[in-house]
Amino acid sequence: MPIVQFAPFSSLVQPAFWHALTDLKIDVLRLSDEAIPVSGSYSSGRSVKDRETGTEIALGCNLSVGGEAFQTAVQAPSHSVPVTGVFKNFNTIEEFKAADKTALFNSIADEIWNSIVVDRSTALLTRFLLITFADLKKYKYYYWFAFPAFVAKPAWEIDGEWKPAGEEFDDDTLSTIQSHVQTSPTPFFLIRPSQKCGVPEIASLEQYDEFFANVSPEQRTIAFLDPSALSTNPGWPLRNLLAFLRTVHPAYTYRVLCWRDAELPVSGAWKSRFGVVHQGTGELAKDAETTKPAAVGWEKNVQGKLGPRMADLAPMMDPTRLANQAV
Amino acid sequence: AVRDYLSPVLKESKFKEHGRITPEEFVAAGDFLAYKFPVWSWEKGDASKARDYLPTDKQYLVTRGVPCLRRATALAYTDADEDAERLLSIGDLSSTGNEADEWVETHAGRASDIDSGANPGVIDDIPDVDDHTGEGALASAMGNVSLSGANGDGVGEIPDMDEIPDMEEEDLEADDDEATAAPRVTPTSRIIDSSEVEVAKGNLLQVRTYDVMISYDKYYQTPRIWLIGYDEASINLAFNRTPLTPPQIFQDVSADHAFKTVTIEAFPHSTSLQAASVHPCKHASVMKKVIERMNAGVIEEQQAQRKAFASGPASPKDKQKKWLFRRASGNGKEDKTPTTPGEEEMEGMRVDFYLVVFLKFIASIVPTIEVDSTTAF
Repeated sequence: MPIVQFAPFSSLVQPAFWHALTDLKIDVLRLSDEAIPVSGSYSSGRSVKDRETGTEIALGCNLSVGGEAFQTAVQAPSHSVPVTGVFKNFNTIEEFKAADKTALFNSIADEIWNSIVVDRSTALLTRFLLITFADLKKYKYYYWFAFPAFVAKPAWEIDGEWKPAGEEFDDDTLSTIQSHVQTSPTPFFLIRPSQKCGVPEIASLEQYDEFFANVSPEQRTIAFLDPSALSTNPGWPLRNLLAFLRTVHPAYTYRVLCWRDAELPVSGAWKSRFGVVHQGTGELAKDAETTKPAAVGWEKNVQGKLGPRMADLAPMMDPTRLANQAV
Repeated sequence: AVRDYLSPVLKESKFKEHGRITPEEFVAAGDFLAYKFPVWSWEKGDASKARDYLPTDKQYLVTRGVPCLRRATALAYTDADEDAERLLSIGDLSSTGNEADEWVETHAGRASDIDSGANPGVIDDIPDVDDHTGEGALASAMGNVSLSGANGDGVGEIPDMDEIPDMEEEDLEADDDEATAAPRVTPTSRIIDSSEVEVAKGNLLQVRTYDVMISYDKYYQTPRIWLIGYDEASINLAFNRTPLTPPQIFQDVSADHAFKTVTIEAFPHSTSLQAASVHPCKHASVMKKVIERMNAGVIEEQQAQRKAFASGPASPKDKQKKWLFRRASGNGKEDKTPTTPGEEEMEGMRVDFYLVVFLKFIASIVPTIEVDSTTAF
């Protein structure tokens, strides 16, 4: 049985975010390096067909932060779901380097774990940490994202492989899901076949018990908005969702739908994937439901190592360079 | 900006006569675009920069993450490429199947003859507009913005790694988490990850993404396009995702327009953001030509339909004398009143299609950025 490998989030920082950070640092934060809330968003994974070769190219599994990231009550862009995080800006590069990253990371992992075992809620399953140092004079921004996710021991395995959603569900079912996700995008949702005939029924994950009360396990489907577009890798949010399910709604297998169709497919080929996952042999350690598992999720840098990244916005922000260009 | 501030808001619609549209028509066309192609959505922008002639929640249109697989500089167009032209029909959009509606797409199915891996489309320098010695070659100066600067080769330029503090922390977490997908996926997979496209294809295919905005330019009375680019996958197979620098953006603009009509300017709905923009001074005349051609086709089709309709069972609607064009003072909104198909189509091309057509025009300026979702998806 192959182990399920999750496509990690990749951060996508819009330039507007750095502008917002600059204003925030100068006008509000000043020398404070308190952790403050920040928000981002992700949408379903996109792929594009290369018109010259016909190859399907998956765009990254993006979590993006934009200019509204520091505003409260921010509305996610259309077709996206919001994600909240913790933002910490350091005043000097030395402090940035010396930051106790493990403690920051663990505090968020703890929050996620508490939301699972105490609140039994999915609202905080996807969280992120962003630490920065802004060199405002040089228009350079050093940053490091972390997307904490729990490590399942033993790892999740999949029966067979991820297959196109069209092989498991009929077109009507998928069309119904598509229109549901389009009107009200949610990160996670449940699907069951209709009690009568016709369209499937959709509910939020919090309604798991009553919604699946009279549904046989073979007809229970758990779906999530999948930011990954890779055919063999579901996106990062599934990791914590499975940790949640394992703890709150234990079962041997879960039928998982990775929802990727932002639009109705033109040719009838659905991009969403479907698979049945289970953990190890099904034997659970006694304390598995209450002990906080280890978490991973620091983003790697351009060289593929664990390290910070830098955005150099001088070409787009430095007034002297812009003036030179404007001749 | 003063000019923009002083110029009056266009009140009278004459989009068929001169290609310009009113703010109301911009909103109508934008609503249509966002409805038909949900990748586009309205944005509020910075409240202090809101234009009062547009609804507060419909200041400009945006679509994010528009893929751009190749550099326009690698698409040098020669006579031999004429075969590669292909007629695209947008008939289903305008509900006419007429040939006059077809659109020429160049470079169709044509593989890049330049090994872009070896020749990553370096723009050595940028032509000074007054300096014609370069004979069309993209050489000379555009200020001191230069690709062949300190960063060596221009493409996939990564911010100086030396400047990033050396704080790799391999012990931060176990590097071999078995359940984390490695950047590369199994070769059997048909969908490939953008970080490994070079490997998969054998030649360089540098994926970038763009955020594309459409604002309304009050002075030129046309839409105006804005681009912010990101590096998606760079040549060393790692994700970079830093914002593109102006010279990098110019690699995605066709040579006829780079450095002439495309410039980096302050985005009007933000206090500080800079973006690449196609200068709108020629938009109206180009749009006029395109609309004239399309409209002729639309009307021809409608007349044919009308004849067929008239010869069919008698209908009271036949007696209604319809003017071929929309009334000149129309403001887009009255367009939305439901009409019977026959009646509606007699009006020629409707202003709602303006932005759809506009995107096709923009696609010719930035050929490798797939702004025109009407054919790309």
